[in-house]
Amino acid sequence: MAEEKLLLLKNIRQQGYGGDYASYKKTGGGAAFKKALTGMTPAEVIETVKESGLRGRGGAGFPCGVKWSFMPKDLPGPDQKPHYLVCNADEAEPGTLKDHVLMLGDPHMFIEGMMIGCYAMRSTHGYIYIRGESPHAIRRVQAAIDELYKAKLLGKNILGSGVQLDLTVHPGAGAYICGEETAMLDSLEGKRGLPRSKPPFPAQSGFNACPTTVNNVETLANIPFILTEGPKAFAAFGSENNTGTQAVSISGHVEKPGVYEMDMGHNLKSILEDFAGGVRGGKKLKALIPGGASAPVMRADEIDVPYDFDSLMKAGTMRGSAAIMVFDEDTDMVEVANRTIRFFNHESCGQCTPCREGTFWIKNMIRQFGDDAGDEALLSLVHRAAGNIIGTTICAFGDAVGGALQGFVQKFPEDFRNHFQS
Amino acid sequence: MPTFYLDDQPIEFEQGETVLKAVLRFGVQIPHYCYHPGLAITAQCRQCLVEVTDMGNGRGMPKLQTACSTPASEGMKLSATSEKALWGQELVNEFLLINHPLDCPICDQAGECDLQDFAFAYGTGKSEMAFEKRVYGWRDVGTFIALERNRCIQCSRCERFSRDIVGSHDFGAFLRSHELTFDTWEDSPITHKFQGNLADICPVGCITNRDWRFKKRAWKFRKVESVCPSCSTGCNITLEHHQNRVFRIRPRENQEVNRWWMCDEGRVGFKPLNDRHTRLGEPQVRVKGRFQTAQWGAVMEAIAMRLKEIGAREKQVIALTDTHATNEEMFMLRRLLADGFGSQGVFFPLIVGKQQEKPTHPLEDDFIFTLITTDKSPNTEGAKRGDLIGDRDDKRLKAALKESPKVVIVLGAPFQQNSEIRAAVAKAELIVYIGAFANAWSEAADVVLPGYTYAEKYGTWINKAGRLQRIQPALNPPEQARDQVWILSALLGAPENGESFADGRAVLEAMAAQGGDFAGIGGEQIGHLGLQLKKAAKERKK
Repeated sequence: MAEEKLLLLKNIRQQGYGGDYASYKKTGGGAAFKKALTGMTPAEVIETVKESGLRGRGGAGFPCGVKWSFMPKDLPGPDQKPHYLVCNADEAEPGTLKDHVLMLGDPHMFIEGMMIGCYAMRSTHGYIYIRGESPHAIRRVQAAIDELYKAKLLGKNILGSGVQLDLTVHPGAGAYICGEETAMLDSLEGKRGLPRSKPPFPAQSGFNACPTTVNNVETLANIPFILTEGPKAFAAFGSENNTGTQAVSISGHVEKPGVYEMDMGHNLKSILEDFAGGVRGGKKLKALIPGGASAPVMRADEIDVPYDFDSLMKAGTMRGSAAIMVFDEDTDMVEVANRTIRFFNHESCGQCTPCREGTFWIKNMIRQFGDDAGDEALLSLVHRAAGNIIGTTICAFGDAVGGALQGFVQKFPEDFRNHFQS
Repeated sequence: MPTFYLDDQPIEFEQGETVLKAVLRFGVQIPHYCYHPGLAITAQCRQCLVEVTDMGNGRGMPKLQTACSTPASEGMKLSATSEKALWGQELVNEFLLINHPLDCPICDQAGECDLQDFAFAYGTGKSEMAFEKRVYGWRDVGTFIALERNRCIQCSRCERFSRDIVGSHDFGAFLRSHELTFDTWEDSPITHKFQGNLADICPVGCITNRDWRFKKRAWKFRKVESVCPSCSTGCNITLEHHQNRVFRIRPRENQEVNRWWMCDEGRVGFKPLNDRHTRLGEPQVRVKGRFQTAQWGAVMEAIAMRLKEIGAREKQVIALTDTHATNEEMFMLRRLLADGFGSQGVFFPLIVGKQQEKPTHPLEDDFIFTLITTDKSPNTEGAKRGDLIGDRDDKRLKAALKESPKVVIVLGAPFQQNSEIRAAVAKAELIVYIGAFANAWSEAADVVLPGYTYAEKYGTWINKAGRLQRIQPALNPPEQARDQVWILSALLGAPENGESFADGRAVLEAMAAQGGDFAGIGGEQIGHLGLQLKKAAKERKK
């Protein structure tokens, strides 16, 4: 039985932890922000985060410190555009619930990380974009921010340093695509959430055409630890190039679904067996989706790999937002594919032709198999149509749909054939 | 100039331009739908995918890029015809046709449809889609355009036009995914005056011009470049006609005048051209209070005799012209009065044009609203520069009428609404009316000489900004009608008494030879897009 490595969930795992500012302070919270504000320049903070090797936990795994360093270095004067830090709490990837746990259990941790980020990027206003389906998370985070205003850690002239910082919680309206960073910025501006074509990147022209950085909740929650304990202590967790710990959401046919924290690079098979207690009811594993619905599926015989960004990329799938979905031997993968494509078809923003029309077309084709129709030609057509969505759209949504659907067809063609060959 | 290479073809570009813009200007076609030079770039149709093999720094891009959104850079190497690029263009075309009804035989856009053209040029010609297509209900969105959403390819040009160009925000995107639709809000039709542009920019037959719909196939049209006569802005237009009937007017790109746009008032400006009821077809002479048709020779002789009888000179002869007349006609009219009667009295109604429309929402650039002015004639500026007499309350004309002129020559439809002037003119002994259509003046005249409409003659107009632009004949005039400049030169007694002018081009040559504003100006100098004149001499003094 593997032990959890507790860094993000260390407070949440404590019995009776309240999650309010008083109890957060008792565990040493707030020290990192104070340290940054009084003892470090913004450049030093960014350098520290860079050294830690922290990679974004939202799905793409882009190094956080590098992302921060893309922001303009100059102080925003009266003539210059303000900088913004937006926290992506629009956790909507099917299977993912780690941000939810962090926001509900210990909101102050990621808010502190966000405050440090704002200081490092000289932003005086940060936004937390939480999906509208989580009203309790919105209330919880808003309450935490209210506490910070009361403690004079937000507002004007924080701790007498002259630094000003405001945080605003913005509820989303429930579109999956608003988790894409540029679509989120559109949505934040009050428009339809549509991914923007890049360049320009948000660091040049983001929210209200001002320099903007978007970070995931979990990414920001790592920042306080990196500042108090140092980047080396953080890099001691995990493996090289995939440092730190990760909060992994496990769902599906397992004994103990939930969110577990462990080293980056922990063996995937061990995650399933040691943390989640193995497949439910002693059944055999059939398949596993390692990174939310966007990640291509893995067969049972492929899962003996380290669970981190690089290893899963090498295995032809992705870590994504660390959402493991487990399917036992009784599962019909056509049904899984059907459910997946219905989700993607429903959530496609409709902007780009391949994604808009492709998801519609593939949905119809997969449904054919569900009706015990279809043939070999249709199967290869699904594969071709899915492939045509990859790399031809504005945002990564198209790549996700295409990759995931190709995965089902490639890894489990026999499931599809069972529907028309009997 | 910096250069990039498209399939080894060097193409020059201006700093900050995108690849597609430079390529289209160079004259190579890359298929595209959502890109429109006048609208914001969204890169969403994905049709213009190209392969970037070298970004100018030796490295290529792993994914295909949309040419419309990729900024051009020095030494960049692209391919629009490589295997990968063609794969991209083909697949987008295939996806676009999945939900397109392919109802080209009954679609008005057929023949000038981007989807049709590009599908033929870049598509595979087969479909593997075997399911029911998406179907929308029909929606009534206003009086000017028809919306057939099943044909929509979701390029969002209409939404961007409504948002960024007109600022009306009344046409937008609804729903998402394959159900994404562009539509008006429930029960609120479009009311702004630029709806026709939506039909123009729609690359398929989703938005079509309601007036023209079902009347003619697009490939039947013959197209003639002209200028809109409906106000003093002088938007550049194309008259699209078939079998001597004009079916529609569409704007012609001119960055100095109307960019890509025009207003709906201008679009219906062709209606009088097709009017057979009020069109004057033959010369008419009033005999004992009733009109009789006559031959041109007899009419001209009768006029000459009558003029001799009256023997009017100088202030006893005046002319009225509207500002739909071309510069050439005004020139000839002035010459007729000066050389024939020693009179300077050529009067025109002076209207000071103002911007008529205002945006309902704040706009970054409200250019389109400057297109509609309150001066509903195309050549007020030409009349002013031609030293014709006009003032705001027609004081000088009224003063001239107090002298009881004996002969009045009326060109077109000036001062028609002013009963005071009409009553004063009616006292004259001889009223000669020259014009294409019957109106109050033709009723009051002693002689009616049928002229040409603006779609039947050569000529030039000067718009409100002092831009000289030319009009050209598109239609065949009635057999017995004559060009106004010919009539005016004939009245002067040509050929015995001077030169005879066949059409406006010959008059322009004479004007150019005479000097002034028109010195050295010919059709070539004016060109397709017009010629900006210097400020009028009077204004320069100020």
